Order: sequence, then C-alpha cells, then structure tokens
Amino acid sequence: MMVRTSSDQAPDSEDEIFRLNARNWLLANVPDKHAPHEEKTARDFATSWLSNCHAAGWSGVSWPKEYGGQGFSPARLIVWYEEYARARAPSVLDCTFVGVNHAGPTLIACGNAEQKSFHLPRILSGQSVWCQGFSEAGAGSDLASLRTVGRVEGDHLVVNGQKIWSSYAGVADYQELLIRTEQGSKRHKGLSWVICDMSLPGITVRPIRNMAGVTHFAEVFYDDVRIPLSSVVGELNDGWSVAMTTLGFERKTAAMALQLELSVKVEDLITKARPKPNTAMGEKLADLRAEVAVLRAMTYRAVLRGGGTPFDGSLMRLTFAELAQRVHRTAMGIIGPEVLVDGPWVHDYLESYSETIAGGTAEIQRNIIAERILGLPREPRP
Amino acid sequence: MTFDLSPTEDQRQILDAAQAMLDAHYPLSRLRDSAGSDALKPLADFGAFALAMPEQSGGAGFTLVEEALLHVLLGRHLVSVTALTAPIAARIAEESGRSELATGILEGTIIVAASVACSDGLLLLDGENADFAIVRTGGQLRLLDLADLARHPETALGQGRPLHRVALTTHASNTSASEGTANAEQVLISAQLLGIAEGARDLAVGYASTREQFGRPIGSFQAIKHHCANMAIRAEQLSAQLDMAAMAVRGGHEDAGFQVAVLCRIAPGIALENARTCIQIHGGIGFSAEADAHLFLKQAHVLAQLCDPGELLSLKSPMTPTRKES
Repeated sequence: MMVRTSSDQAPDSEDEIFRLNARNWLLANVPDKHAPHEEKTARDFATSWLSNCHAAGWSGVSWPKEYGGQGFSPARLIVWYEEYARARAPSVLDCTFVGVNHAGPTLIACGNAEQKSFHLPRILSGQSVWCQGFSEAGAGSDLASLRTVGRVEGDHLVVNGQKIWSSYAGVADYQELLIRTEQGSKRHKGLSWVICDMSLPGITVRPIRNMAGVTHFAEVFYDDVRIPLSSVVGELNDGWSVAMTTLGFERKTAAMALQLELSVKVEDLITKARPKPNTAMGEKLADLRAEVAVLRAMTYRAVLRGGGTPFDGSLMRLTFAELAQRVHRTAMGIIGPEVLVDGPWVHDYLESYSETIAGGTAEIQRNIIAERILGLPREPRP
Repeated sequence: MTFDLSPTEDQRQILDAAQAMLDAHYPLSRLRDSAGSDALKPLADFGAFALAMPEQSGGAGFTLVEEALLHVLLGRHLVSVTALTAPIAARIAEESGRSELATGILEGTIIVAASVACSDGLLLLDGENADFAIVRTGGQLRLLDLADLARHPETALGQGRPLHRVALTTHASNTSASEGTANAEQVLISAQLLGIAEGARDLAVGYASTREQFGRPIGSFQAIKHHCANMAIRAEQLSAQLDMAAMAVRGGHEDAGFQVAVLCRIAPGIALENARTCIQIHGGIGFSAEADAHLFLKQAHVLAQLCDPGELLSLKSPMTPTRKES
C-alpha cells in the first residue's frame, strides 16, 4: 500500500530490507564532522562524501541506471532520503547539488550523446562540480528578462555580460549558463542553455558574502568568453524549454531531502527543549511537529502521485520555505543567550532567510498559485 | 503494495456519483432559509454510511480512504453531523455485536447525534430526533441511548441546527469503540473540515474572479490573490495529511496514531482560517447572512469541537533520528 515507516520491526519485505541496508550503510559511513564553510574545504568535503556514496552504489539515486544512477523507484527514493535525514548525512545542498540535481538531469533530458558520456560520470563520482548561471542583477524573479548575450562567431559563441547568485562559482568546473543568443529577441525566446567551462579566458568570479557570513555564492563576469557551439544543450535559441525541463525535477525530487531533514530538526528541538505538556513551548513544538509531518505528507504526495501540473510544486515549495524559517526562529528562542555565539543552529537560522527568496520569492510563488492553479486574472503587464 | 497515490477509476466513479447525489439533495442554498437537520435518506440510499463496511455487514467493501474522500464532499455541502456519526456508530454497534442496531443506522432509520462534553453534561448536536449519541470520554467513543434522557433546547451557532443540553452525571458503561474506529472518526471529521476549507476557497476564488472594483476583478489585485493562494496552500496541506492518516489507519501502520494526531491538530485551524478569509474576500456581503461564506465558518466551529488532537508530543515520530547530534 504505502511505504512502511516502521523503524524497529523485523524486515518483512524487500522494502524493509532496503530501508535497513540504507540505514546501516549511512550509520557506518556518515562523517561525524559538520560540513566546513570555507569554499575550497567545503568542495573537498562534499566531493569526497559524494565519491564515497558513489563507490558504495548510493549516488545518483534518482538518475536512470543507464546513466550510472541507481534508478530507485519513487517509493525507494523516499525511504533513502528518510534514512539519509535520520542519520544526519551531509546536507544535499552543497557544491554537488547543481550537478547532481539540476545540470545532470538536464543533460539526461536534453543533452547529446557526447555531452552525456563526458559529463554524467564526472558529476556522479564527484570529479566535477557545477554551478548555475541563470539569475542576473536585473533578472531575479523575472528571469526571462535576462540580458547576458552570446553572439555566434563561426563555430563559437562569444559571451558578454554578468550573472549573480551563482553558488560555488569560485570552485566550480562547469556552469549551466542561460544566455540570449538571438539578437533582439525578447523574454523567453532566443535563449540558449550552454555548458560553460569555468576555466575559459575572460571569466571573472567575484565572491559575495551572505548574511550568515559565509562565501559560497558569487557574481560571474563574461568578457568575450568563447564557448564552442558544441556546448549548447538542446537547440540553439531553445534554452527556455531546456531550462524548464528540470524545473519539476528540482521542485519534487531534489527538494525531498531538505524537506525530510526538517522533520529531524524539529525532533532535535523537542529533545533540546523537553517541553512540558500544556505550556506555550509545548504547544509551539507540537504545532511544528505537526507542520513538518504535513510537509512529509506533501512530499509523499508529490513523489508518489501521478499527473498534476508543474505549478503544483509551488504549494509545497512555499510550505517548506516558510516552515523552515519558523523552525529556525523557534530554535533561536530555545537556545537562549547562546544564540549570540555562532554555531550550527545559528548558522542555519541565518541561512534560512534565503528560503523565501531563492528560486522565486514567496510573493512570486503566491502569484503563480493564484494565477496558474486557481485561475485568477493575471497581473496587468506593463 | 502499490505506490501510486493517484485516485483509481473506482474511486473517481463513486465520488462523481456522490457529487451528483449531493448537488441534487443537499445544495448549499437549502441552508439560506431553513435550519433543520438534513434528512439522511438520500445518503443512506446511496450507501454512504456503509461505504467502508465489510460486504458481509451490508457494506460496499471500500476502505477508509474512499470514505474520507466522500466526507470531503459532505463537508463541502455542510451536511448535518448525523451523516458523520452514522458510519462510526454503525462500526461501534457492529463491534459490540448489535447487528440490528448497525443495520438501522446504515439504513438511516436510527439516528445518532454527535455530542460534546460540557461542564454540566453534554451538548447534543442534531439530537432532536436522535435515538443515540456518540459520546467521547477520555479518548474512548461510546454509544449513549438517549431514550430516557431529558433534552433542553438551546439556540445554536451551527446553521442554527438543533442543539440540546443534556444533564449527565454518569455515563452508561457499554462497549467502547476499537482504536481503529476512534481513529476513523477523527479522519472523517477532518475530511469534512477539508471539505469546508476547499468549499470556502472555491467560493472566495469564484467571487474574486467576478466582483469588480476600480474597473478590475478584485482577484487581479495581489492582496486578494495572496489570500486566495494561502487558502489553496492550506487546503493542500490538509488534503495531503488526510491521505497520509487515512492510509496509515487503513493499513494498521505503527504510526497511525501519530498521523491522526497530526491531522486533528491542523484540521480545525485550516478550516476556520479559510472560512474567515472567505468572509473577508466577500467584503460587506460576506458579513451578511445573504452570502454563504458564514455557513462555512459556523460548521467549522461545530466540527472543531469534535476534533480531539490528543497529545502529539507524547507519540513517537516516524522521523526519529537514528544517529545522535554531534
């Protein structure tokens, strides 16, 4: 019927055996240390964890087998990420995230044979790290207004412009780059999705420190950067549809790990606070426990139910973003004066401010829900 | 094991048929003038109360999952709580070996009221013509025979539906419902609360799409749009948890009690919040008794009283960490 969630029964099915195998491997292999913040050591930490997973057959869990992934069914993906969260394995939102959860799946869907055979094994083994090059200073929530251009010159694109909020650009080997390749084109038309080698001449990376005090994202400048036309993924000038291919993937599969991780954080807060029943803190934590359980139910639904529209993900995405912030705000209340000392909870609290901004602000998500799901009249366009 | 949460063809058919029956016999417009209890016959004839009963007990052999989806529709139509108590009372009767009583309840000839404990006894919901009431004490559900009890009428919040106060000092100790039945009751109450949350959302969205101010439909303004989006998010949250809890109870999973406690903790708040927002989006007419918005709010308050959230923090979470925090 449904995925079993029992934790201490004797294995009575293949799924239970799968769960126990995942749990045992994770408990034996999850590193004790927290991921470091400094970019280069963070890269080493993340790629070595990914390569350990890869060697043991636990990387690319949602990728098809023919591309080196594990091809787990949706139900098994849930089991894997539940055990992953419960074992406190490193956050999936590290420098390998874009490669494994975004660029890789895009190449699988739209790349040619050469692009796939070169890049996919390198991504899964932790050999190459990818960053994203979508947002621009003038194209945030309104991504389609992006202005970085690629001019075709012989068998190359000559790229000029700048990108921003590119996580781990300073240590990445490749970038998924969305640029305007048809001169004079507007909005979603005339864009291309390009593999950009970050070592090419003309690329400058300026690190940006975030409000949590760490530097993992950056601004990237392109000054006559020559990228071979063979690096275009999908058709030239069809980049918007290539970018949209994996939007649903990102919102469903990739988000799963983070959503389930939030349940463990609430369990930790309950352990930390030891609230008595019928106290304000007891009620607050019971509410949070209920809310993360609901988020888990939404995760099951998103992954296990067919059909739906790409916009349905917005309901879950927004639920997660706002709940993650509430969980961390509550943590600050529980920790007390020690919040003045930087530590994992304080760090995660500050990082949580990005949740309602990155990948489309909460306000834009609400517009999408109202217009695309509920069918309310569109905003008048200027 | 199947891992697809999409509704099956059987589920779709039964829900389409239920929708048609409810539109014909229980349109919302019936509540504008009169405020009586709903007649149960059309529901009983449809087999609504027996949906999840085993076939040998005269049931249709569906499960709590389909029954919950049916009760979402009942919630949208603001059907009397006697339609909520019937399938639960029939289960209690069946469990205690009173098959004739169960049959009478399933056929809609024996009426069972809902009740809420109060300081001096019970408040009886839709109990005017009821023969029994479901009573909840200390998390246990029992059937109370109303034959010899005096009922004092009160003016009701509900849809102005019958409300009586019953002085009661001791409860007759008869067989209490099984844990599965007690969980099923909470699932169906929450399903009706979801129906209210969805009904309020759809009424508000419909109004916002047609009502014009400043030369535009008010639904094109972000302030209204975001209210509507919030209603959709809340309804989706409740709907996902309803599925989760109904399936856990149906399968007798270890975390069934946990999932039901989560469901009961969120369901009343979501229904009330959507009903409030629906009134607000309607503006002046929403405050009047001429629009239907207030009906959702009042029924949400009625059902909220029947929800028993229990002590969620004392239950074991299925997401308990397997490794200590370092």
